[in-house]
Amino acid sequence: MALTHPHKLGLTVLALVLGAAGLMAYKVRALGYRLADILPVRQYEVTYALDLDGHGGDVRVRSFLPSSDAHQTISEERDQTSGLHLSQAMEGPNRVATWSGADVPNGARIRHAFKVLPRRVSYELPAGLEVPAAYPPSAAAWLRPEKEIQVDAPEIRATLQRIGADQGSVVERLRRIHALAASLQPRPFKGTTDALTALRLGESSCNGKSRLFVALARAAGIPARLVGGLILEPGAKRTSHQWVEAWVAGHWVPFCPTNGHFAELPERYLTLYVGDEALFRHTADVNFDYRFETHAALVPSPQAKATFTLFDVWGLFDRLRLPFALLRTVLMLPVGALLVVLFRNVVGMPTFGTFLPALLAASAGETGAGYGVLAVLLVVAAVAAVRWGLTRLELLHSPTLAILLAAVVLALLTTSMVAERAGIAALTRVTMFPIAVLAICAERFYLSLTEHGARAAGKELAGTLAVMLACHAVMSSLALQVLVIGFPEVLLLVVAANVYLGRWVGMRLSEYRRFRGLLGGAA
Amino acid sequence: MSALSRAVARVRGVLARRAAVYGINRRNLALVYPNNDRRHYPLADDKLLAKERFQAAGVPAPETLAVCEGLYAVPGVVEALRGRSQFVVKPANGAGGGGILVVGAWDAEAGCWRKAGGEPLSPRTLGRHLADVVFGVHSNQLEDRAFVERRVEPHPLFAGLWGDGLCDLRVVTLRTSPVMAMIRVPTAESGGRANLHQGGLGIAVDLATGRTFRALHRGRAVERHPESGAPLLGLELPAWPAVLDVARRAAAAVPLGYLGVDVVVDREARPLVLEINARPGLEIQNVNGRGLGPALAAATDGRAA
Repeated sequence: MALTHPHKLGLTVLALVLGAAGLMAYKVRALGYRLADILPVRQYEVTYALDLDGHGGDVRVRSFLPSSDAHQTISEERDQTSGLHLSQAMEGPNRVATWSGADVPNGARIRHAFKVLPRRVSYELPAGLEVPAAYPPSAAAWLRPEKEIQVDAPEIRATLQRIGADQGSVVERLRRIHALAASLQPRPFKGTTDALTALRLGESSCNGKSRLFVALARAAGIPARLVGGLILEPGAKRTSHQWVEAWVAGHWVPFCPTNGHFAELPERYLTLYVGDEALFRHTADVNFDYRFETHAALVPSPQAKATFTLFDVWGLFDRLRLPFALLRTVLMLPVGALLVVLFRNVVGMPTFGTFLPALLAASAGETGAGYGVLAVLLVVAAVAAVRWGLTRLELLHSPTLAILLAAVVLALLTTSMVAERAGIAALTRVTMFPIAVLAICAERFYLSLTEHGARAAGKELAGTLAVMLACHAVMSSLALQVLVIGFPEVLLLVVAANVYLGRWVGMRLSEYRRFRGLLGGAA
Repeated sequence: MSALSRAVARVRGVLARRAAVYGINRRNLALVYPNNDRRHYPLADDKLLAKERFQAAGVPAPETLAVCEGLYAVPGVVEALRGRSQFVVKPANGAGGGGILVVGAWDAEAGCWRKAGGEPLSPRTLGRHLADVVFGVHSNQLEDRAFVERRVEPHPLFAGLWGDGLCDLRVVTLRTSPVMAMIRVPTAESGGRANLHQGGLGIAVDLATGRTFRALHRGRAVERHPESGAPLLGLELPAWPAVLDVARRAAAAVPLGYLGVDVVVDREARPLVLEINARPGLEIQNVNGRGLGPALAAATDGRAA
């Protein structure tokens, strides 16, 4: 049987697709949207975990906190220290934090956390730049010798001549110095190595290589300084890292002789301070222990947030102080619903309604897909138990559903309570699953159970869970979320797909099996 | 022939034959939506509304003995039925056979009826059942109507297929032309329900001759009843032209173009229409061993001729 108006269908789909493509092209060409900006970036949460105890008098711990710059953006900094007072001061370019307090007989816990959005930076150095005769005072200060950076030592001068870094352009000198410092044998030594010792031994860990680099650069007439920080990687660690910066044409340019980075700073480097400093100093007579705890998470890129300004839902949610999670849930729902339509009308997988799997997936975005499945199974078990108990009473429909809701609520709370008693913290999160969605789930399952029987209801349950997991996988894709936020016209494509599927008369995949006898597909 | 080319040939065969078979998407878009206006669905879903139309059009249907519109009517209906035998209580909007109560003979001495299995049914219990139906217990609605029908005694041929109740004939019609037909037979396995997915038996009937030519049980073609062993094929159905005629007239009595008309044949070989369905299922294709496509084409051609 022919469709009534195939051309109307084609025109509608075409108009929607062209409209979406036109809007996207306009944004990219005229408004400077970049498709690359939809890719999420990695944000790290770093916690200083410092513990001290065993002291009867005043206690002070001094350290450095990071600042935002071209390479890193610091945000959401918070101090959850107990028993000590935090004060902050700028010392030159460094942000110095001091935790102090009197008498901590039971010890003190310093917990200081912040989020870092790091970027890789690299510098193009001017090839023919000569070493200038004079520097501004702020830079010239970084030419002087220090206790462990022996700029004037004869061995440093001799080495400078030997490697030919005492003449030529700034870039050429830095290249030779970098090559020498990088050529030192690596050595996993935790203590401090001064520049001369590193040179004499021909081996060193990061701080010795960096001091040798700085000593040679200063001897060559180029201001240079140590930089201290962390290499960001998820987990807990005690190891910090040191690299250097050299003053080139008015910029502090980073180099890491340990890991072979020349005039560039990789993304995962977190800068904490500059200068030959100790990361922690504390009053004597305390047991001091420290570690850095790092978590990584994907977040939308700041470029996307800054440039995706037409139909700026992002800004709207920021102004209304609504969470990003809600925005992405709202915008992803139509995508999830399309997926459900595909599963129902093309695959032939039965589900509880069209919206429910997508709603469940959206709700599971907060708790994780596993807890979503668990919450649904709990609800289903509660409904089955109540139905078994109520069936003899032959109650009316609406009161029955109200009883079901009470059972669902009790089941969730009981589970959380038992989980808490048993110390399964993760399981208590099923209580956080939106009750409205679970209530619809309970009603759908009950209706299916009464109208079609346990077998069909079980099939619909399995289908719902499978489609929910598929929806969750697609809807929780951050790249897709940012794409829809920046280019909401993608939803026009979703509409176009639904228009097409709405007039699609093809057989569902499951029907190839159902009618296999008629199709002759069976062997 | 290599395994690959055999597979290719098989896929080609499947793709060629699928044009004849209707899936749910195609049924909805090509048959249900264009022919059945949604606002007329109540005529099919509400058995009492359908019966009113049948009566107006002179389509034979089981006699309605009483209608229970509300709770107030329950005692009157029970009193009116006192002393009567052989009737069935049904919810107007019931689904899947829920809420149907089959009542046998009146036992004057005991002051109660006997159910199909012989157990007693007091007027009080009957009243409560009517009240439940009116309250929508069996309809997933806030309220419903109950009605009482004369119990149809099936023709011996149908009684031979299933003794404990009724098995009906499903005739699918497109704009009043019969397209395909089958008998749906409950089994003990299906719990007395004629649902093919629950182990019921489907028997295909040739439209032209009224002869059964194929039977399907749990997806497999069978020749005999899986429980009684009664032969199922080559049976000549009684009053076949009359069956087709009432199916046509029932379809013409409602403004719905694509229907499943459920017909029973009583002991006097009179066809009676039980109910109509505006979204008839597709399993009839498997029972008949052929797709709806050619059957629909044949039915509409026949009408044009």
